[in-house]
Amino acid sequence: MNPNAIEIRGLVKRYSAFTLGPVDLTVPRGAIYGLIGPNGAGKTTAIDMIFGLGRNDAGTIRVLGFDHRADEVALKRQAAYVNPDLNLQIWSRVGKAIRFVRGFFPGWDDAYCTELMHAFHLEAQDRIATLSFGAKTKLSLLLALSRRPDLLILDEPTTGLDAVSKQQVFSELLKAVANGERTVLISSHSLTDIERFADHIGLIKNGSMLLEGRTDEIVDRFRVAEFFTRNGAALPGPVPAGLTILKWDENRWQALLDQHSDAPAWLETQDAQNLTLTRLTLEDLFVALVKEKEPAA
Amino acid sequence: MTSAHKHFLIGPISAAAEGALYQQIVDRIKREIAEGRLSPGTALPSFRQLAEVLLVSVITVKRAYEELEREGIIFRRQGLGTFVAERGHDRSRETKLAAARNLLREGFREAAEAGLPPHELAELAREILKEKK
Repeated sequence: MNPNAIEIRGLVKRYSAFTLGPVDLTVPRGAIYGLIGPNGAGKTTAIDMIFGLGRNDAGTIRVLGFDHRADEVALKRQAAYVNPDLNLQIWSRVGKAIRFVRGFFPGWDDAYCTELMHAFHLEAQDRIATLSFGAKTKLSLLLALSRRPDLLILDEPTTGLDAVSKQQVFSELLKAVANGERTVLISSHSLTDIERFADHIGLIKNGSMLLEGRTDEIVDRFRVAEFFTRNGAALPGPVPAGLTILKWDENRWQALLDQHSDAPAWLETQDAQNLTLTRLTLEDLFVALVKEKEPAA
Repeated sequence: MTSAHKHFLIGPISAAAEGALYQQIVDRIKREIAEGRLSPGTALPSFRQLAEVLLVSVITVKRAYEELEREGIIFRRQGLGTFVAERGHDRSRETKLAAARNLLREGFREAAEAGLPPHELAELAREILKEKK
């Protein structure tokens, strides 16, 4: 069996003002994968392509072993996409929405659905129009999870959720992947949550994949390096890739250091004094990487 | 109705506590073993189950288990699960002692850098011990 739930190779999608790709993206089976990136980086475009919404200009997308276009029907039976724009109100009540959706999916799990209704504090007779924003989000998640999909794709699932609801959602997602077969892909700006709950992350910026891999390995790979140079403000020579100056004052420097690059060795040759290395959270790392190389104001 | 039910419990882990989450899990499990609440041969939850209880990614727990396995504190039996090793208690104690030794060394170095002479260092250590009581 293919160890990856999603394999994207060389994906390109061109719009008049924006091009996504070429992008490679690999989501291992059984993982919670966090797709992160600044607004407009291409996350939603990538998700739309995975789910066959719109035609890609180049590249291949394999989802659960299926080609995303040739095997579209099989794919859509086994993968679920929770979209924040989903309009649920046409069903008026929670119970009616459930009865409607379950009819389409032979794998629908009634017992699990009931369990989720308890966990999310939803009642069959609740009117959808009067549900809070968070409860509506939970309802869309319930409708997707109860299908027992092999792949669940969530676009910004926790936006606007309070801390309790957010934890309920992640708790259910962890349960969903507990058998090691089901896979979850989340696009999110809640980087604290992604760092805690996602096994793998992909960071997209300006339509390209900047970093992808195990969350812990990526976070571990970077440090904020602080050091002092002996003479004046100038850093001798060009700064190597892997070292991004974040702040400086006279001869004191703070920089983002990629420990997998040549930068640590370079620092040693520069006679950097009192070098200290500090770990970053994913959020700090994200800010440092995304701000990097933006044109100076 | 309460949804609370019996969980496999280790000391709390938190992003606000010292150390990466996986390291905290390693430390908490070592403490359970060192303090005798987890005895040799006890089965540990699968890493997916523990991830659910602790509300952390599966990879975080996996990494913690790998670390504990490398140190010989727990062992895995294919298809059966993960268990506390026979010598897990001693090993946990050894690792704790090694960690304490390192922390003391670091503390003494800081004190030396602050200009504290060796005999006052011993005095400082005694003071700290008294605080603990």
